Amino acid sequence: MSFLILDNIQKSFGPVQVVHNFNMAIEKGEFVSFLGPSGCGKTTILRMIAGFEKPSGGRLTINGKDQRPLKPNQRNIGMVFQAYALFPNMNVRDNVAFGLKVAGMSKADIDARVTEMLSLIRLEHLADRYPYQMSGGQQQRVALARALAVKPQLLLLDEPLSALDAKIRVSLREEIRLIQQKLGITTVFVTHDQEEALSISDRIVVMNAGRADQIGSPYEIYNSPATRFVASFVGTLNMIDAKVIDPASGRVSIGGQDVTLKQSLSGLKGGDTVPLALRPEAGSLSPTAPGDTALTGTVISAHFLGSVIRTRMDVGGTVISFDMFNSPGVKPPQTGETVTLRFAAADLLAIRD
Amino acid sequence: MTLQRFGAWAAVLIGAVYFFVPLIGTVEFSMRMRRGEYSFDAFKSVFSDTQFHQTFSFSMMMALMTIVFGMALVVPTAYWVRLRLPQMRQVVEFITLMPLVIPAIVIVFGYLRLYNSSSFLPLTGSTMGTNILLVIAYITLSLPYMYRAVDTAMRAIDVRTLTEAAESLGAGWGTILFRCIFPNVISGVLSGAFITLAIVMGEFTMAALLNRPAFGPYLQLVGANKAYEPAALAVIAFAITWASMGLLNLATRFSKMSPAKA
Repeated sequence: MSFLILDNIQKSFGPVQVVHNFNMAIEKGEFVSFLGPSGCGKTTILRMIAGFEKPSGGRLTINGKDQRPLKPNQRNIGMVFQAYALFPNMNVRDNVAFGLKVAGMSKADIDARVTEMLSLIRLEHLADRYPYQMSGGQQQRVALARALAVKPQLLLLDEPLSALDAKIRVSLREEIRLIQQKLGITTVFVTHDQEEALSISDRIVVMNAGRADQIGSPYEIYNSPATRFVASFVGTLNMIDAKVIDPASGRVSIGGQDVTLKQSLSGLKGGDTVPLALRPEAGSLSPTAPGDTALTGTVISAHFLGSVIRTRMDVGGTVISFDMFNSPGVKPPQTGETVTLRFAAADLLAIRD
Repeated sequence: MTLQRFGAWAAVLIGAVYFFVPLIGTVEFSMRMRRGEYSFDAFKSVFSDTQFHQTFSFSMMMALMTIVFGMALVVPTAYWVRLRLPQMRQVVEFITLMPLVIPAIVIVFGYLRLYNSSSFLPLTGSTMGTNILLVIAYITLSLPYMYRAVDTAMRAIDVRTLTEAAESLGAGWGTILFRCIFPNVISGVLSGAFITLAIVMGEFTMAALLNRPAFGPYLQLVGANKAYEPAALAVIAFAITWASMGLLNLATRFSKMSPAKA
């Protein structure tokens, strides 16, 4: 049986349903990220797991135990908030010790555990500092130590990196992942930053309008987006409307040029329009390899972005972007130039709306 | 000096004269009890008066009770409104502002009508009951100041997130309120307490109509019967108010040294 089970979870605020029949099973020790735009319901699900919101329907179990009758302070779930939420009147040591004191542990045990936690986050030297005397990154590390000190059965991270600057965000997310792996603690992480989710998760749940559009590994989410929303939300993507020629063989027409997909288009008939997704980095202007697919078009623009050159080309009225690595030996395409974009047929994906 | 700058200084000067001249006059007059020389005889006379001690200590006790029970009412209310009933904020603010627009005499007549010795709750039927009623009246009177001071302090911290953080660490409501919220709004509580102290020490209407031996009615009594002592008492009352303001200032400064946001 899975460690955390969300079975048909629903949540409504008045007449507005913000979470629709959400189902998911999370294994022990797994790091799962909920990714989606603001208002998609990801934080609401996290808050239902923590006990701060009551589900309108469905079942929620942790380690086989129904959590619905339990109050937040009875669930033994550690939580880290976007706004750090350190107690301003307590120093670092007292903040980390808070949950242990509430649990009624002895002073010696508390001291030992606090020292262990501060060493885990490498902030032993700041034990006597107050939150206002520390940077955002340091405060968030203390918040993490405080949440972990009570040995929670589950760790919830509610956009813990959003308030930090870019450099600290990258280093702290790596630190969070290392600590999570070291302790083997089951973790649910909420973010709207796709890079964060892709870089540290075992699995990602892409949320859209209160529903899970896709649940999968970062690799699956990025390379095989299941819906148009997932495709557009995770990474940069070309959305191409193609006309079906032969559904059985997967032959379609893009701007008047025939292309054969790696998949058949069951449920569609000749003449239908099918949305296709193509990552900009999947194409290249280099010579074709056996089995490659090609589209010829006219360059509309070429933007130099440092390590890559992003080029937009017009293929019979369909605009496609592609990225090529910047190399001193390769001349960037010129506007108005006719080029042939080559890519593997498997990179062109038919997706659901 | 520009005209604008001159105008500003003139306004400050006029304000200072308006404030300090009567005060200096009162201090000077309070020291003229002994013919031909300045002395503190009026102050000695006031401090040696047993009625002064009785009324002063009575009002102090009433102020202390008002602060304790007032805060016991206001802090959880302000906390709960911020945490769970934000939609009720306007209503609660309106209610707490009502004592400012309803004259004290109206409130106290209402109390006398409701809680007289032949009513369902005869609070005025005993000394203890009347004292309780007076504390309740003082709480009502200081509600606008207490609530605002505490609410402002709560605005400076993220009450909801701090509460949820404490809950997720296993804390119950008592622990959350007394160990996580209260210490972080202490500056607001102290501000409210000092304002309340100043109000209660000088309050006349409620104490006089409820016939309690408070400092306000004593001020009036001395003022009506003696010459120099009322001036000395006025200076003492000023000193109490200023001491309260100074402590309030200290409390505010203390809060600036501590963190404002979670």
